[in-house]
Amino acid sequence: MAAPLLLLAPALVLLPIALALPGLLHGGGWDLVGQFLLAAVRPSRDPLVLASALQGLAVTAGMALLGWAASLLLGLLLGLASSRTLWHTLAGTPWPAQLLRRLLAIPRAIHELIWGLLLLQVLGLQPAVAVLAIAIPFGALVARVVSDLLDALPTTGLEALRAGGAPGPAALLTALGPPLLPGVISYGGYRLECALRSATLLGVFGLGGLGTDLKLTLQSLQFDELWTGLWLLLALMLLLEAGIALLRRRWGMPQRLGLASGGVGRSGRELLLALLLLIPLVLAVARGLEVNPLALLHWQPLPPLPAGGWGVALALPWPGLVGNTLLLTLLAAGLAVGLAPLLLLLVAPWPWGRLLLQLAWALGRLWPPPLTALLLLLVLQPGVVTAALALGFHNLGILGRLLLEASEAAGPERQQALASAGAGPRLALLYGRFSGLARSYLAYGAYRADVILRETVVVGLVGAAGLGSQLLETLSAFAWDQLLALLAVYALLTLLGEDLSDRARRRLLASA
Amino acid sequence: MAVPPEPGPLGPGSPYVPVLELQSVTVAGRGRPRLDGVSLRVGPGERVALLGPSGAGKSTLLAVANGLLRPSAGAVRWQGAPPARSARTRRLQQARIGTLWQDLRLIEELTVQQNLNAARLAVWGWPQALLNLLLPLETAACREALARMDLDPALLAQPVSALSGGQRQRVAIARVLRQEPQLLLADEPLASLDPRLATDLLALLLRQAEAPRALLLSLHRPDLLAGFDRVIGLRAGRIQFDGPVAAVGDAALAELYGSEVP
Repeated sequence: MAAPLLLLAPALVLLPIALALPGLLHGGGWDLVGQFLLAAVRPSRDPLVLASALQGLAVTAGMALLGWAASLLLGLLLGLASSRTLWHTLAGTPWPAQLLRRLLAIPRAIHELIWGLLLLQVLGLQPAVAVLAIAIPFGALVARVVSDLLDALPTTGLEALRAGGAPGPAALLTALGPPLLPGVISYGGYRLECALRSATLLGVFGLGGLGTDLKLTLQSLQFDELWTGLWLLLALMLLLEAGIALLRRRWGMPQRLGLASGGVGRSGRELLLALLLLIPLVLAVARGLEVNPLALLHWQPLPPLPAGGWGVALALPWPGLVGNTLLLTLLAAGLAVGLAPLLLLLVAPWPWGRLLLQLAWALGRLWPPPLTALLLLLVLQPGVVTAALALGFHNLGILGRLLLEASEAAGPERQQALASAGAGPRLALLYGRFSGLARSYLAYGAYRADVILRETVVVGLVGAAGLGSQLLETLSAFAWDQLLALLAVYALLTLLGEDLSDRARRRLLASA
Repeated sequence: MAVPPEPGPLGPGSPYVPVLELQSVTVAGRGRPRLDGVSLRVGPGERVALLGPSGAGKSTLLAVANGLLRPSAGAVRWQGAPPARSARTRRLQQARIGTLWQDLRLIEELTVQQNLNAARLAVWGWPQALLNLLLPLETAACREALARMDLDPALLAQPVSALSGGQRQRVAIARVLRQEPQLLLADEPLASLDPRLATDLLALLLRQAEAPRALLLSLHRPDLLAGFDRVIGLRAGRIQFDGPVAAVGDAALAELYGSEVP
């Protein structure tokens, strides 16, 4: 199949969804959806509401920043510790790196929401819970990226330095530090955007900040207040994204879809300064949020185990749970990956259409999927398709922005050539730009599908949506044995998915 | 030294409708305009060379001619008609103008046949455009297009990325011709070629300009003018001269290029 068609193939998933939708409507709720949409242009401007939303936003942003900073520190250390090159140079054997890599797969496989809810049970409600919940899985992710980057670097420079008699640590720092930095910083910037989204999400599940306000206002149908918070969050997120994009360009960092990287060079001093400025900022935020590391040592007594034991855990409908989780992942991933190019084609003739799309995608990115799910429940029945729509919308925002960035970076020449030969704007876009992007975009889509599998838990509250729903249920019932079994299966599934998506990605990129 | 355009080769008495006509076209630029009151006509079957130093406005003129750039003042006419308001008619107008780009702008990821068929997108609807990505369409016409360029029809199934430089150049020309253009534009097509390839390619392009198809080609080298009917000299966005090749002497060229050696 030719490249541009490959790009449109995932959109086929729209067919079964479109077929299932009419059966899912429960009839009512449209007036509420209308009120919700209307409130978008009439958000509450009550000073009290505004002050409380700003306060919530500050807490969410603070939790995101702290969690992110902790995850970078953790990830950098663990990444170095799980680098084969590093162990090989310092100790002569790579096996401790391999062991650590395997171990790190476990925190990585568990979504920050599950970490958050687990820690909440153990530590009670305090700001540090959200920070830790972000720092643990993100740290493990950063560690993997750091060690992958490190081990992929050519070692000739390192070997030359070692042969010249340089001591191990000095040789490592000199030979591998500078080429490693652009990749790590570029990825780190992207993680900060993720951290803001995660902090909002954790709030929706009661861990404080703006997310909590958003959920409460939605549940009490105060849509005008809901939109006050949403618009503020959107402003912050767009500001953050623009700032990170600016720094990425200024410091010559690699794009996310492209892998061409330059050196750090001239901007090295500026970069170091920015890192130094981060330290007092992080400390000030920690003080402001009253994060108390000592409180982490104070564990709450766990509620007693309900009767039933392992028999109940075994009696769970496992095939259905796993099947629904996979179905949800496929539907949501197909929706997100396939809809982005389709929508771009649709609005290709109108510049304002693209602006509207960008706004909708920005809302999709910041809008936590469980809230979309709650909104959808106003008109749809609970189930896998409803959950997939919520999760798909969120990821569409992420993939759409990426596709747009990549298609802008691809340059207008071929599209222009086709347009000047009389091709319509949609066909010129499809042939001229999408041809070159298809494989790298789908490769990213494969990676995203793996993220979506991990994320299915966040729409678990819709019910009947696989392992995620069951997990949330057992968590609130304190059924620790079932929880452990569910976590193990979920983690195993995620690791299998990660492996599968890695293979798909390598195949797509190899034939590019 | 402005020479009025010659009547076309259709003979005396036949209605003369220029393939391309620019009337006092100005394109604003930073500082001075990129084109400054340019008027010209290209008749059916004419082979016109556009000469001038770098920055003279040759590429701008070609971009106006193929409709990519809208002039800030003045008018463009294709086959006697102004650019249509309706998007669909306008696309059909543009399909009659073929542009050979210096960087070729082939779609590397697609096969030669898919690339040749991309020239048909102006007249094709979505079904054919999508089908072209799945199945080999209009194979006979594509084979003929390659044969005209002395290329092996077996290349049809190859991805463009597998072709040699010379093959790509010819595939690009074959693609433009698949548009069946009335006007063939080329922006310095010989710039990056070695002398031998350049003369071959120029001969190939000149052969394609048979009435009613006209050729307007920008050049950097006055020594390659032999096969053309007419030369237009462009400097600083204005036409310096416009006349038959024989009428352009060394003095006019020296004036055109100023101190810059072509």
